[in-house]
Amino acid sequence: MKNTIKVERAKKNWTQADLAKHIGISRQGLNSIETGKFIPSTMLALRMAKVFGTTVEELFQLEEEEEF
Amino acid sequence: MEQSKKSLNQQSIIYALIYGATYLPAAWLLKHQLVGQPVSVIIAIVPVITFAIFIYKYIKAVGAMDEVKQRVQFEAVVIGFALTAMLLMVLFLLGLCGISNTLFFGYAYLVCYCWLFYFIGWIISKRKYGV
Repeated sequence: MKNTIKVERAKKNWTQADLAKHIGISRQGLNSIETGKFIPSTMLALRMAKVFGTTVEELFQLEEEEEF
Repeated sequence: MEQSKKSLNQQSIIYALIYGATYLPAAWLLKHQLVGQPVSVIIAIVPVITFAIFIYKYIKAVGAMDEVKQRVQFEAVVIGFALTAMLLMVLFLLGLCGISNTLFFGYAYLVCYCWLFYFIGWIISKRKYGV
């Protein structure tokens, strides 16, 4: 699964620590999500989309091989 | 909020240390049979109580963690449990063959192996998720 968290973060000029604070997780946890090592829950994905003013679908996309 | 999460984490670590501080002297006292049987029973129960309190605090601390850290803890416990179960199985089967080494694989050591396996799982999971 790929994501555009880094791009959205750059648009807002936020550091990982800033975003982590906004969505209530640790900076290391956010780094793990941003680098694709951990797939967040629906709740966290929705919370992230809300702070960026975007949708979950725009924030997270399936890789080609993950699509059925 | 962040402060309370930190405090819960610290509390679980403190109670783990208290458990260790009660378990080791209790094991030493009981091994050397320095006290009578009724007192021995009380001494044997003390580490069980401190361990139960530690587990309660640990569960509370895990509940307050973010989902990435929860996953790390979950995987650490699963790996620790699986390796401990595997070790017990091997020791039991070897015991049936008449091969047993109580010097390094007695009950007291099994507790230490259990902790060792948890920490192995914790390190593996931390590296996996990069936290």
